[in-house]
Amino acid sequence: MDAGDELAINRARRGDHDAFRSLVERHSCAVFRLAYRMTGNTNDAEDMVQETFLRAWKQLGRFDGRAAFGTWLHRICSNCTLDHIRARKAKTEKTTELAPNVPHWGPTPERLVQSSEITALLLPALDQLSEMERAAFVMRHYEGMPILDISRVLGVEAGAAKHSVFRAVQKLRRALEPAMSRSQ
Amino acid sequence: MTHLTEEDLVLLYYGEKGAPGYARDHLAECGLCRAAAESLALMLDACNEWTPPEIDTGFARTVWARLAPQLEPRRRVFEMRWWLAAAAVSVTVIAAFMAGRFTSRPDPEFTAGLSHQARERILAISLADHLERAQLLLTEVANMNDSDAADLAAHRARARDLVNEDRLMRQVLAGDREDAGMLPLLDDIGRFVLEVANAPDRVDAAELRDLKQRMDSESLLFKVRIIETNLRTSRISGKIS
Repeated sequence: MDAGDELAINRARRGDHDAFRSLVERHSCAVFRLAYRMTGNTNDAEDMVQETFLRAWKQLGRFDGRAAFGTWLHRICSNCTLDHIRARKAKTEKTTELAPNVPHWGPTPERLVQSSEITALLLPALDQLSEMERAAFVMRHYEGMPILDISRVLGVEAGAAKHSVFRAVQKLRRALEPAMSRSQ
Repeated sequence: MTHLTEEDLVLLYYGEKGAPGYARDHLAECGLCRAAAESLALMLDACNEWTPPEIDTGFARTVWARLAPQLEPRRRVFEMRWWLAAAAVSVTVIAAFMAGRFTSRPDPEFTAGLSHQARERILAISLADHLERAQLLLTEVANMNDSDAADLAAHRARARDLVNEDRLMRQVLAGDREDAGMLPLLDDIGRFVLEVANAPDRVDAAELRDLKQRMDSESLLFKVRIIETNLRTSRISGKIS
C-alpha cells in the first residue's frame, strides 16, 4: 500500500478528519471517473463520490490493507453505484444526461463527426447493458482492472466477471457497427 | 485449423490470461482472425472517445465541504458496541458447547436437537469468528505508526474480551482430536492479546516495534488469516443437517 495512504488511514482510524481529508483529495477524481462511467451522469457521479467516502469513513476499521486503498474505494464506489442504478431503474426514472458528456477530442472536422457519432451510439448502448455488464466493462476497459480484481470488487466468480465483459463487448460491437463500418 | 473465438480476441486485446496458447501464432498466420482482431480493436479503441468531463481543481474541496459535516465521531463507540455484542454471543456459544461436551447435563436448549455435524459446524463458525476478531486487532496493531508513541488504550477492552474468548476456545478444543492442531495458534493469539490487554495507555515507539516484531516473527497475522479462510471455505460451507 502507498505509504502516504497508510499513514493517513491510520490517523483517520483514530478520528483524524484532516487525515481523511487528504485521502479524499488524493482519490476523489479517480472515484468520480469510475462513478461517472458507471452512471453516465455528472450529478449522480458526484453523489456517488460523496456516498463512497461516507461509507469509507464508517467502514475504515474494516479496511485490512490487503488491497490498495484505491481498490477498496473502487469496491465501495461500484457497490454504491450499482445500488443507485438498481434503485433508479426500479423507480423507472430514466435520467440519462447526454448533452454535458460531449468530450474534448481531436481537432479535424472528420474526426469530430466520427467521434460524435461513436459517442452518440455508445452512450445509449452502455445504458442498454445490465448493471453487471456495464460495471465489468467500465472497470476492464476504462480503469484497466484485471478480470480477477473485477470479480473481487463485484463479489462474483472470475468466470462471471469475464462473461459480463464478453457480453458487454458483444452488445457494444453490435451497437457501434454502423459507425465503424462507415469509418473503415 | 481452429479459428480464435471473439472471447479469445477480447482476452488478447486486454492482455488477460485465458486465451489459447497458440493464439498469437495463429493471428500471425490467419488473415481471417487477424481481420477480426483488428476490427475488434478498432471498435474498442473507439470507446475511448468517450471521456469523463474535466474536473476542476476545486472538486476535492467541494466533496470535502459536503462530506465533513456528515462525518460522525461516534463511530468508534458504535464499533466498540458491535465488538462487545459479537464477543458476548461468541462466548455464550462456546460456553454452551462446553456445557454440552464436558458435563452429563442435557444439551443446552439452543443446541438440543442438532446433529453432530451441525454442532461441529457451529463450533467452526465460532472459531472462525474468533480468529476474524483477533485478525482485526492484529491488523490494527500492525498498521500503527511506530515512529510515534502508540495509543493502545482504544484496543485494550477488545483485547481483554479476546483473552477470555481465546481461553474458552482452548478449553473446548483441548479434548477435540480433530481441532487440537489449532491449539498452538490459539496459544500464540492468547499471548499476544494478553500483552495488548495489559499494556499501559501509551507505549513508546521501541515497545511498539518490539510488539510488532514478535507478531511478525511468529507470522501470526498470516497464520490467523490462512486458518480462518480455510475454516470458512472447508468446514462452514456445508449445510446444517
